[in-house]
Amino acid sequence: MTIQTFAALKDYFSTPYEVLENLSLISDLKTYLIQQNSDAENILNLSRFAVNDTFVDLDFEIKKNDTICIIPPSSGG
Amino acid sequence: MTPFALSHPVVEVNTQPLTALPLNLVALLSVAHHPKAGAVVLFSGEVRDNSLGKQVDYLEYEAYPAMATKMINEIVNEAIIRWRLTFAIAQHRTGIVKSGESAVVVITTSAHRTEAYAANRYIIDRIKHEAPIWKCEYFTDGTKEWGGNCNCQKQTGDANKHIYEFDPQNAEK
Repeated sequence: MTIQTFAALKDYFSTPYEVLENLSLISDLKTYLIQQNSDAENILNLSRFAVNDTFVDLDFEIKKNDTICIIPPSSGG
Repeated sequence: MTPFALSHPVVEVNTQPLTALPLNLVALLSVAHHPKAGAVVLFSGEVRDNSLGKQVDYLEYEAYPAMATKMINEIVNEAIIRWRLTFAIAQHRTGIVKSGESAVVVITTSAHRTEAYAANRYIIDRIKHEAPIWKCEYFTDGTKEWGGNCNCQKQTGDANKHIYEFDPQNAEK
């Protein structure tokens, strides 16, 4: 699956970021990403996950072809 | 794009929620006037030349356009209904914005000023805390920092629960 990252998260995971393992839940994806880069744990804990442009909870089941975005805390304005 | 007549020529005004172009506050204000509105409030969030005790060279805004556009539209529409506004618009810059320039503008209009002020503060608070838009500060010393993050969840324990500067509950009539 391919995920999109933004802003400060791009310092840890280039975008689009390719995940080769099969993961079933968003929480699995989060755990996987922390394993890939433990320095990102803090910002991942603060980030929201969006699937097909809608925010989802950690227990959301990932389906094939879902577009997954990781949204770090907003800092607009 | 909304056409409007200024004095004679019909001018196209960019009313998109996100834009890479400089915000044209005067043009946006021109489309905000409404015969039933006795109050027009314009908030412009502008780039300061200093942050974290350092001199700021410029800011660069990144957005996730699909979600940011949708969220800004939803927030504005919610405010229009909630405060029975005659008009509301919000627009945020993307890309490089220099000090003294406007990074975000919110215009609200209503019959009387209470509603326009309240709705305006509500809209800007929610955009700042919730819309997927991020600023990176570039300092004159050559350093940069992704800055000013919403960190409400350190207090609320939930990424979707925010502490707003302005509490609309207190502004209800």
